Amino acid sequence: MESPYAIEMLHITKKFPGIIANDDITLQLKKGEIHALLGENGAGKSTLMSVLFGLYQAEEGEIRKDGKPVKINNPNDANDLGIGMVHQHFKLVECFTVLDNIILGVEPNKHGFLQKQEAREKVMALSDKYGLHVNPDALIEDITVGMQQRTEILKMLYRDNEILIFDEPTAVLTPQEIEELMQIMKNLAAEGKSILFISHKLAEIMAVADRCSVLRKGKYIGTVETKNTTMEQLSAMMVGRNVNFHVEKGPCKPGEVILDVEDMSVASKVHKNDAVKHVSFKVRKGEIVCIAGIDGNGQTELVYGLSGLEPLKTGSIRFKGQDITHASIRKRNTSGISHIPEDRHKHGLVLDYSLEYNMVLQRYFEERFTSKAGFLKRAPIREYAERLIEEYDVRSGQGPITPARAMSGGNQQKAIIAREIDKEPDLLIAVQPTRGLDVGAIEFIHKQLIAQRDAGKAVLLVSLELDEVMDVPDRILVMYEGEIVGELDPKTTTQEELGLYMAGAKRDEVKA
Amino acid sequence: MSVVLLIQYTLIFSSVLLLVALGGCFSEHSGVINLGLEGIMVIGALGGALVMRFLPAGTPGILIVLLTLLAAILFGVLYSCLLAVASINFKADQTIVGTAMNMLGTAGATVLVKAINTALNPDDHSSTIQYITAKKAFIVNIGAFEFNWFMLVAVIMLAFAYITLYKTKFGLRLMACGEHPQAADSVGINVYRMRWSGVLISGMLGGLGGICYILAGVSEWKFENGVAGFGFLALAVMIFGQWKPLRIAGAALLFGLFRALSNVYFGFDWLVSLNLPGTVYNMMPYIISLLVLAFTSKKSRAPKAEGIPYEKGMR
Amino acid sequence: MKKNLLKNPAVQSLIASLLCIFLGLLIGYIVLLFINPAGAWDSIVEVVKNFMHSPRPERQLRSLGTTLVRTAPLLMCALSVLFAYKVGLFNIGVAGQYVAGVCAALYAALAWGWGWLPCMLFALAAGAVLGTLVGLLKAYCNVNEVISGIMLNWITLYTTNMLLSKVKEVASPYTLHLTSNAPQALLPTLGLGRFFSDNQYVTIAVPLAILFAIGVNIVLDRTRFGYELKATGNNRNAAKYCGMAEKRNIILTLVIAGALAGLGGSMLYLTDLEQWSVTATSVPGMGFNGIAATFLGGLNPIGTIFASYFIQHITDGGTNVDLTMYCAQISDLISAIIIYLCGFVLFIKQSMNKRIAKNEELRLQKARLAAEEGGTK
Repeated sequence: MESPYAIEMLHITKKFPGIIANDDITLQLKKGEIHALLGENGAGKSTLMSVLFGLYQAEEGEIRKDGKPVKINNPNDANDLGIGMVHQHFKLVECFTVLDNIILGVEPNKHGFLQKQEAREKVMALSDKYGLHVNPDALIEDITVGMQQRTEILKMLYRDNEILIFDEPTAVLTPQEIEELMQIMKNLAAEGKSILFISHKLAEIMAVADRCSVLRKGKYIGTVETKNTTMEQLSAMMVGRNVNFHVEKGPCKPGEVILDVEDMSVASKVHKNDAVKHVSFKVRKGEIVCIAGIDGNGQTELVYGLSGLEPLKTGSIRFKGQDITHASIRKRNTSGISHIPEDRHKHGLVLDYSLEYNMVLQRYFEERFTSKAGFLKRAPIREYAERLIEEYDVRSGQGPITPARAMSGGNQQKAIIAREIDKEPDLLIAVQPTRGLDVGAIEFIHKQLIAQRDAGKAVLLVSLELDEVMDVPDRILVMYEGEIVGELDPKTTTQEELGLYMAGAKRDEVKA
Repeated sequence: MSVVLLIQYTLIFSSVLLLVALGGCFSEHSGVINLGLEGIMVIGALGGALVMRFLPAGTPGILIVLLTLLAAILFGVLYSCLLAVASINFKADQTIVGTAMNMLGTAGATVLVKAINTALNPDDHSSTIQYITAKKAFIVNIGAFEFNWFMLVAVIMLAFAYITLYKTKFGLRLMACGEHPQAADSVGINVYRMRWSGVLISGMLGGLGGICYILAGVSEWKFENGVAGFGFLALAVMIFGQWKPLRIAGAALLFGLFRALSNVYFGFDWLVSLNLPGTVYNMMPYIISLLVLAFTSKKSRAPKAEGIPYEKGMR
Repeated sequence: MKKNLLKNPAVQSLIASLLCIFLGLLIGYIVLLFINPAGAWDSIVEVVKNFMHSPRPERQLRSLGTTLVRTAPLLMCALSVLFAYKVGLFNIGVAGQYVAGVCAALYAALAWGWGWLPCMLFALAAGAVLGTLVGLLKAYCNVNEVISGIMLNWITLYTTNMLLSKVKEVASPYTLHLTSNAPQALLPTLGLGRFFSDNQYVTIAVPLAILFAIGVNIVLDRTRFGYELKATGNNRNAAKYCGMAEKRNIILTLVIAGALAGLGGSMLYLTDLEQWSVTATSVPGMGFNGIAATFLGGLNPIGTIFASYFIQHITDGGTNVDLTMYCAQISDLISAIIIYLCGFVLFIKQSMNKRIAKNEELRLQKARLAAEEGGTK
C-alpha cells in the first residue's frame, strides 16, 4: 500500500543546551498538497527544517519518505531524496546569470565543458509549464527579488525535486509579486509537487494552503484544514492565550514631541526594494512607543536610519526640535539619543574589551574619563563601571575587568542597558532588548524601560515578542513590509487583532 | 630599431604580468587572496633555472623549453600548497601567510642556490645561476625581433584561463566558491576542494610567470634580488583588469609597456631629451599602478567572499 | 591552578611564540641537514649563539652592542607594524617607510649638514608622509594597504638611490661616512659604548627605541586614541555604532606607523655603523623582519622588544655560520618560517582552549559520575 504522505517527521525532539527547540513535533506532508507551517519567531520552525535537511540530528523521532524511514545526515542526502528549499536569504551568486545559478552543481557537460543549450531548453520548458517567465541570461544582480525567487524555484524544479519547501517566501516581495507566487505555488501543487510553506502571514496561508500545522514555543499545537478554520482561530493557535507575566505600570502622561520622523525611507542591504518606505511617526516625552511586526519588515533599517548607521533615502528626522537627518552618529549619541542595539555582539559590545571599557563605550571621551592630554582616567572609569554593575546587578566572573566575551548573554545585555540608560537620554531606542534572555532578566529590563518613561523620557521599543508588545508600551505601531500599517492602543486591542496587522491581513491608513 | 626593441620588451614583460595576474585571478575567484605570488614566482623561477643549469649540454632546444616549463610549474604548484594549507584548512590570516611566503621564497632560493654554488666551487658564494646556452632555446629571432616562446605560452594560458573560467563546469563552480561559498555548498559543491584547485592553479601560473621573468632580458639571475615586486604589480594588473582574463591581458600590456620603457627609453630621442633620470623610468610601473588602483579600487568588483575563510555549517 | 595559567592569553601567546621559534629553528636545521649534514648542528648552534661565538668576553660584549644597535631600528619597524595591526591594517609599507627615514636622515646630514636631532625629525616626517599616503588611499580610495605599501616601497627605494647618489663616495656606491663628513649628525652615545667594550655605535638609539616601545604600549593601553584604535580593530561595527571616526583613525594610525618606521631608519644610519648603497636593488629586510618581530612578540609592544632582539640575534648569528658550506641567509629563512608559523597562532590558541575546555568537561563528568556512585552506595 502506498503512503499518502510525501514526507513525514514524526515526534521530532531536538534539544540545545538550556532549551528544547523542538518538543515532540509531528509534521506530515501529503502528496500534492500545500501545507503551511505557522509559528512566531522562536517557535522552532527553522530548527525543524534544519533537522529535515540534516544540519542537525534530532535526539528523538524519525523521518519517513513515502512511508519508509530515512536517515538524513547532510543537505546532500535531502537533495537526493528530492527535497528542495527556497531559503529566506537566497543562495544565489549575484554576478552569475539565472541559467548559471540554476545549473550550478548539476551542470550538463561534455568532458567538463558546459552544455548550456541543453540546460537552457529544459529551463525554458519548466518556466513555461509553471508560468515562471524568467530570462535565463539576465544577471541575478539586475533582476527583481521576485525573479530571484523564481530562479530559486527553478533550481528545485531543474533537479526534479518533488518536495518543495518555501521558507518565509513572501517576506521580501511586493504585493503583486506575492500574488504571482501564490499562483505559481498552486500550479506546482496541481502538477503533483508537495509544498511546505513556512509563514506567519495568516492571509497568505488562508489563500494558498490546504492544511496548516502550528508550532508555539517549540511545541506542536495542531494541524487544521484551512477551509474549516478562520484567521482568528489560527492567530489564537499561533500566539496562545496565556500571558506569562504582567508588567505593572501607571498611567501614561505624554508630553511634548521629542522625535518627529517624516517620510523616512531607508534602502535595504539584502534586496532592491527599500526596507523602510516613507514612514512618518512621532514619539513624545513620557510614553513608550512600540514598533511591532514580524522580523524583517524594516524595523532594523528603521532603527539604523534613526541612529545614523545608515543614511536616509528620503525624509527627515527632527529630535528635540532640531533637524538631525544628517547629523553624525556621535552627535546623535551625545545629544540625548541612546540605542540598545538589536545585535549585542555586532554593535553593542567590543567583546575583547573588559566590562569596564564596554561600560564607557559611549562616553569614554567625556572629560571625566579622558584627561586633556588624551589619557584615559582609569580610576573614574573603574568607579563608574562599579557603580553601574552595582545598580544594574550585572554579574560577571571578575567584576569590571571581566572580558565581555566571558559574560553570559543576559549580563552582556544588562551591561548595555546600564550603559545606555545611565546616559540619561531623552530618547531611548531599545531594539529587542529581551531577546534570548530568561524571565528574570526580561522583567528587570521591562521595569527599566517603564522607569525611563515615568521619568518623562521617550522610549521607542522595537519588539517581535507579542507578550512584550502587549504589556510594555503605551502605543503600538505595526510595521509590515516597510510601512506602518496600524496604530493600536494596547489597552483596547487584542493579541489576535495585533496578529492580523502583523501578518498583513489588516491595515489602516495611519496618519503621522 | 628601438621601436622593435620596445615592442619586444613590452611583450615579454606583459607576458610575465599576464601569467602571474591570471594566477592571482584563479586564486581570488576561488576565494583566497594570494599575496604570496611574489614568492611563488621566485620558487618557480628557481625550478626552471635549476633545470636549465643542469641539463646536459646538447639537449635539444624543445626539450629544454618543455622541461624548464614543467619544473617551474611543479615548483610553483608545490610551493603554493603552503598557502592552501594555511588559509583553507587552518583558516590562517591570508595576509600574514602571503607575506611570509614572499620572504620565504627569496630566502629559501638564496640559501639553496648558494649551497649549490658553494658545493660545486667552494669559493663561489654567489646566489646567481647562469643559463646562457639554455636561454637560447627560448628565443627565435625574427629579423630584429627576438621572439620568446613565453609570449606564446602567455597567449595559450590566456585562452586556457578564459575557457576554464567561462566555458567549463569547473570554472563555474570555482567562481561560485569565491562569490558565495554557502550557495555553492548548498548545491553539493566541495568548497575546500575548489579553493585548493584555485590556489594550485595560481601556483602553476605564478611559477610560469617567475621563470618567464628571469628569462626576460638577461641570461643569469641573482636570486637574492627576488622578482622586484612583480608579484604585486601583477595583483595591480588583476585589479585593474577587474578579475576578467581579457581585461587583465589589456592591463598587462599597458603595465608591460611602462616596464619596458625603463629598458629602452634611451633609444628614443624625445624621451632622452626630456632629460629625466633613468630611475624615473624604473619607478614608472609602480607609480602607474598606484594611480590606477586609486582610481579603480573604489568601485572594483572583487569576488565577494575572497579573503574570508570558509567554515562548513555557517549558513 | 595550572589550568588557569594556561588559560591566560599572555601565557598562551608566549607558548605559541616559543613553539614558532622552536619549529622555525627545527626546520632551519633540517634545511641545513639537507645541504650538508656535516656542519648542520654546529651552524644552527652558531645562529643561536650569535655574539657568544667569540671566546673573548670583550669581543662578545662588543658584538652584543652591535646586535643591539641593529635591534633598535628593527624594534621601531615592529612597533610600526604592530600599531597599524591594532586597527586592523597590515603595514607592509613599513619597509619603504624605513628607507624613507634612512634617505631623509642621510641626505639632511650629508647635503645640508643638519645636526642629529633635526635629521631624526626629518626622517620621522618622511616616514609619516609615506604612511599618510597609504592611509589616504585606504580610507578614501579603498586601495588595499598591502599593495599600495609594496608599490611605495619600490618607489621609495628608487627615489632614495637617486637622492643619495648625490652624497656618495666617488669610488664606491656607498654614501659618505658620517664620522668624517658629518660628525654633527652622529647620534650622541652618552657614553653607552663603555658598557660594550667601547663600541662607538651604541648610541641613544637603543634606549630610545625601548622608550618608544613603552610609549606605544602606553598609547595603546592608556589613552583615548588607543582605546578607539583597538575598538575599531576588534569590532568595526561597534566602533561605528558609538560614533568613532573610522577614516580619521585609519589615516592617523598609518601616519604614526610611518613615523615610527622612518625614525627607525635614522636610528641605524645616524650611527654610521652602515652606509647606504645607492645600487641597492631591493628594500632592506629590516622592515620585513619587523613583521616577524611583531607577530612573534604576540602583538604586544613589550613582547616585541624581546622578539625584535631575538630576530636580530639570529640574523647576526647567521653571519657566523660556516660559509664554506652554508650562507648567512639561513637566518632570513628561519625568520620567514617563523612568520609563516605565526599565521597559525590563532589556530594554536584555539586548539589550546578547546583542549582545556574538553579536559574540564571530562573532569566535571568524572566528578559527577563519582558523586552518583557515591550516592548509590
